[in-house]
Amino acid sequence: MKIMNHNFRRRLLVLAIMTSLPFSAAADDKYDLLQKQVELLQQQLQELQNSLQAYQDEMKVKEVQVEESVTQLKQDVAEAEEWKHSDTLVHLAGYADVGYTSSSGSDGSFSVGRFAPIFHYQYRDIVMLESELEIIVGENGETDVVLEYLTIDYFLNDYVALIAGKFLSPVGQFRQNIHPSWINKLASAPPGFGHDGAAPTSDVGLQARGGFHLGSVFTNYAAYISNGPELNSTADGDEFELEGIVAEGLSNDADGEKVIGGRLGFIPIPSLELGFSVAMGKATVTAVEVGHGEEEVYAEKFITDLQGLVGIRSPGAGDPGDGDPGFDLHDEQARNYDVLGMDFVWTLGGIQVRGEYVKSKVGAATSGLTASSGASWESWYTQASYLLPQTKFEPSVRYTDFNSPHSSQDQRQWAMGVNYLISNSVIAKLTYEFNEGQAGSTADINRWLVQLAYGF
Amino acid sequence: MKKNTRNTIRFLFTVNAILLGLSMSATVSATHFPEPGDPIAGAKLWATTCSRCHNARDPADLRDDQWISTAFHMRVRAGLTGQQTRDVLTFMQNSNVPISVEPLVFKGNTQPGSEASNLSGSEVYAQTCIACHGSNGKGSVPGAPNFTDPQGVLSQSDELLFSRVKNGFKSPGSAMAMPPKGGNNKLNDADIRAVIEYMKKSY
Repeated sequence: MKIMNHNFRRRLLVLAIMTSLPFSAAADDKYDLLQKQVELLQQQLQELQNSLQAYQDEMKVKEVQVEESVTQLKQDVAEAEEWKHSDTLVHLAGYADVGYTSSSGSDGSFSVGRFAPIFHYQYRDIVMLESELEIIVGENGETDVVLEYLTIDYFLNDYVALIAGKFLSPVGQFRQNIHPSWINKLASAPPGFGHDGAAPTSDVGLQARGGFHLGSVFTNYAAYISNGPELNSTADGDEFELEGIVAEGLSNDADGEKVIGGRLGFIPIPSLELGFSVAMGKATVTAVEVGHGEEEVYAEKFITDLQGLVGIRSPGAGDPGDGDPGFDLHDEQARNYDVLGMDFVWTLGGIQVRGEYVKSKVGAATSGLTASSGASWESWYTQASYLLPQTKFEPSVRYTDFNSPHSSQDQRQWAMGVNYLISNSVIAKLTYEFNEGQAGSTADINRWLVQLAYGF
Repeated sequence: MKKNTRNTIRFLFTVNAILLGLSMSATVSATHFPEPGDPIAGAKLWATTCSRCHNARDPADLRDDQWISTAFHMRVRAGLTGQQTRDVLTFMQNSNVPISVEPLVFKGNTQPGSEASNLSGSEVYAQTCIACHGSNGKGSVPGAPNFTDPQGVLSQSDELLFSRVKNGFKSPGSAMAMPPKGGNNKLNDADIRAVIEYMKKSY
């Protein structure tokens, strides 16, 4: 029985071993397969890690590049903003004109009117430097440069701006606001309102300007104190006569007498402005011209002493610089100098009507070499223009009457023309002047003027 | 000696910090001058004051910074107050975006959207449009169209008018352009639609 059991167990064990052998072989295959798969995965993982590392390295480079780009962009933006938002502004404005003039009895000629750049340097809303040059080409091809004005404006508050330097005369409107060729509706200035006319052109001194409401009426004002003008006299033998007022903004006050003046403007309704101007002070003869008539005037100027007195002398009266002034002007009497002005402007749509009156009066002198009676210069004009609706054409007409102590300067003028607005600040003008003055004088010659004016 | 050195360094550091702070505050404040004005008041001043001396300049003639110097130059010339100067300047700066000669046809929905108008059409007209177009709609500045003309600009479609008011418009051959929204950036689409409806009913 025991032997039988033992055999049975042995067979059972052999059977078990025999049946388990195939399973063991299969397990080995799976193991090998798994091992290969793991090895493959490890290889792929390594490749992935390598790729990731390469990608990260690449991204680091790109991040640096992006940072550099952003930094550069910020710098560019900052630099752009720097120009837009700097404390100091620099600005160039001004105007220029070119033209053609044809006078009766003479050949016409092209001309470069003037180039008048205006420089603005502004520190915030506190201070502004303004300066206008007037550059002109003369008949002989020479170039003249004139400092029309140079002021430093201090904006004290909302109602007062202090102006110091050489400024356009605030007497009236034409000299200070209307004379630029892109603003003037005609191709010439009204007689008496140009240089050497009845209206003062500029002054050197101190000025306060601004505006305020007076109830429902808006008011603007300008008040100034300045060196004032000087006077020219003519000599005809022993007789002297006032020739003209040099009101061109002199940086020297030869007689030490200051002039005060200003303008008050009222705007009762937005389309209407009325202005009243006065100036008063003293002025002294500081130059003498010899003889009357344009051909007899000699223009040999020289400084006689440190006070800046200027003499104009005839040939043979001594050599320049030898201390002989020709005329001793040290004891000239300061004369009364008074200016009165009124102006108005009214607008309605494309219609503009304006007018202006000015009178400059110089008193008599009873002592001094050039003692003579007084004289006055007076001029007025009125002007109308109409920008035709839905067109760029603007007909204009102006009448002026200029009265001077010298009959050769007296002039009455009708000026009429038509403008074409290429833009609101680029204007082509065609003007004809009917002039009536002393026969044979330039004030009596009619003329055509063509002008192209550019305000910028 | 060492104590003195430390105090000196401390003092210099403090001064440096104060100067740095001042310079930074100055830089920040420098970006805002002058203070903004009222563009509606500025439009009225532009339409009435400038033309007393010269043809009114097109706002698109100059950049924002160029208008600053120009406005202060004109403050001196025209005797303006500081507030008037700021008002005109703000209007010009709001209005100097380039204007296309060709009409920009609005292709979107012309019906009221999510924005609601805070103003009636007559209020928008009285505040913004009247400066140039006048109370009678016949135009108070050169170049402004006559709204009372039956064949005039108001005979055009609402879509076209909306586009021209919103984007600005310069008629071919005109020396002047109407700025976008009449220079009043506060107007929204509903305000524009309201004022177009008001103008078509009134003129």
